Amino acid sequence: MNQFLFGLVLLIGLMLPPVARLMESVMIIHMHMQMPMLVIAGFFMAHLFLQRYPQFFNKYNQNGVPGILLFTIIMAYWLLPRTMDEALTIETVEIFKFVSLPFLAGVPLRDSWRRLSKTWKNNVITLFTVVFLGMGWLYIQSNDQLCNNYLVIDQVILGWGFITMAICMVIYLIYIFAVDPSQYE
Amino acid sequence: MQPALKTTSIKQKTTQVLGISLEDARISKSYLSVAFIALLLGGLLGLLQGLNRAGVLQLPPWLNYYQVLTAHGILLVVVLSAFFTIGYFYAGLSHTLGGLLPKVRKMAWIGFWMKIFGFVLVVIPILRNEASVMYTFYPPMAASPMFYFGLVFIVLGVWMLSFGAFTQVANWRRNHKGEHLPILAFFATGVFVLLVGATAFVAVEVIFMIIPWTLGWVDGINVLLARTLFWAFGHTAVNIWYLTAVSAWYVVVPKIIGGTRWNDLLTRMVVIPLVIMNITGGFHHQIIDPGISESIKYMHVFMSLAIGFPSLMTAYAMFRVFERTARAKGGKGLVGWYKKMPWGDVRFLAPFIAMVAFIPAGAGGIVQSTNQLDQVVHNTMWVVGHFHLTLGMSVVMTFFGISYWLVPYLSKRVLTPAMNRLGVIQTVIWTIGMVIMAISMHIVGLFGSPRRTSFTTYGDFAEKLGWNPYMALVGIGATLLLLAVILQVYAVFNLMFFAPKGTTEFPIAEEEAGAEKTPYWTERWGIWVVLMLLVVSMAYVLPIVDMILNAPPGSPPFKTW
Repeated sequence: MNQFLFGLVLLIGLMLPPVARLMESVMIIHMHMQMPMLVIAGFFMAHLFLQRYPQFFNKYNQNGVPGILLFTIIMAYWLLPRTMDEALTIETVEIFKFVSLPFLAGVPLRDSWRRLSKTWKNNVITLFTVVFLGMGWLYIQSNDQLCNNYLVIDQVILGWGFITMAICMVIYLIYIFAVDPSQYE
Repeated sequence: MQPALKTTSIKQKTTQVLGISLEDARISKSYLSVAFIALLLGGLLGLLQGLNRAGVLQLPPWLNYYQVLTAHGILLVVVLSAFFTIGYFYAGLSHTLGGLLPKVRKMAWIGFWMKIFGFVLVVIPILRNEASVMYTFYPPMAASPMFYFGLVFIVLGVWMLSFGAFTQVANWRRNHKGEHLPILAFFATGVFVLLVGATAFVAVEVIFMIIPWTLGWVDGINVLLARTLFWAFGHTAVNIWYLTAVSAWYVVVPKIIGGTRWNDLLTRMVVIPLVIMNITGGFHHQIIDPGISESIKYMHVFMSLAIGFPSLMTAYAMFRVFERTARAKGGKGLVGWYKKMPWGDVRFLAPFIAMVAFIPAGAGGIVQSTNQLDQVVHNTMWVVGHFHLTLGMSVVMTFFGISYWLVPYLSKRVLTPAMNRLGVIQTVIWTIGMVIMAISMHIVGLFGSPRRTSFTTYGDFAEKLGWNPYMALVGIGATLLLLAVILQVYAVFNLMFFAPKGTTEFPIAEEEAGAEKTPYWTERWGIWVVLMLLVVSMAYVLPIVDMILNAPPGSPPFKTW
């Protein structure tokens, strides 16, 4: 219950208009801070759903793959420059953001992550690493304004944000492959 | 008892029963000797500055105020703190992990001589008045290139020592599968991870920006970027010294007062967030810098205050441990249990005063990381007062307290009652001196007296003359502090070479009886490091890309002195 409340308070906090406006005023904070925090809010709230409806999750997400697929689709959708623009200009899309990221990405992520095998987990991280490198390249080299609401410099900054995050994931993958936990645990 | 210590290997038990091996002791003694010689020199230079600012001493042109200030900062903030931290943690690693590996010893010595070589290169231009750039060496002030080459060697030395520590820890973990790293080694791991992370930033600043610029290979330097890289290092460095002191508060002090350690999981949960969130705190040193938008500064206040949270946990934990221990010894009443604390024991008294000092010191830090409040005190003597409270009291007094058992432990001697009494006197003098100095610095800073400024009456301008009584108090404080420094250095070398032979224990408190087992996830350092990198990249990518892409033409080097 505590975890659910923490997630709910985080979600409500992020939805407060002044907070949302501040975070959305900077492109990279919009995409790399607000959106992941919404997923994290869902991740925490998932605790209650997993307790209350274990049957539902067992039935539809037996091996974790459907859940991670849903997570990936939602994340991919919110990676598009146009969706970010629409979130700022169309209210229903903004509402969809605050619903989809916690409940359709955060919740299935938590349920799937405990079900997925190690290989699946590493593949998911590798997929996002490649996607982030690609998005970084797109945002850095594009001379055109991809979002109506943000300047080109914001795009470049976001691009570098993608690259640095991808580097962190590469370091993590190297750590996973290079260090054999059975030597230590 | 901690599970990791339950199944200690024979080697580990030998180290703990027979004491530290001579080779390991020599490493730590060398580091501590350099640290306390730096304290003596730095303290002496501190007195010269204090007397200068008090208006009673005109420094000669061949040793001017800014030279003295640069050397004072480097000797105390870099040499004393770094050498003490390394000496202390290497002794701790040797003690808790069953002696240093031969290759780790070799790495420790290579690191030692690299650092010494670096410091020689740094000191020469300072003495020749070619590097009066203060310890922050902000461009566009440019020192002689030799100064920066010296810094490079210091950083290389730090990396060598950090990788030595990682090698030692990895080896121990391979031989103790599934066990928790002993708590002092856990702190050491956190400290060395932060040392590598922090110095990486300053290495980029010095190697890729400042050195090509002072050698004339490039015309200009991006001042804002250089300052940002510096503070990613500078702020973390200060927090590393603080984390070192905190390790003694959690691990050593409870043993000295005859109690048990605070909850193991919560202790580790103080180290982990401090490691993950520390580096990004550097931005609050740049609250007044132009070129960083207000919304970024606003968001970075969160990162700075986030570091305050583990400190608040520590404050609670420490006083809970004190109360628990004192009540177990028969202490009664709301505050009456304080009588049961070993006030006459310098090994407790010095770190205790250090902890108390962190209350106003931490509060002052919050003032400085708050935009509007900082505008009043930025670059004034307030800031100097603040870091004399944090470093000069919270950190250094803990180091002093440690020295009264660590040095005799290393030299296989004992702390005599007479030396303990001297330590108590030294602690009291230091406390009085530092309180007088830090309070007057804070007050005169609020009145607007700038830091890093040689004595001047501003043409006898009446308002500025009102600062002088406070500056006189700074001089008095500095005098008392030098007296305390002399006593401290005497105590250290007496305990190292002349005190009676005997056995001194390395005091490591045990967990409370029946304590819950700590979950194993605390040991996943790889994950903590990746999280640290993620937080750093999220915090820095926006301002740094902006600083680079929207950079002004860059500044040529200036020699302002």
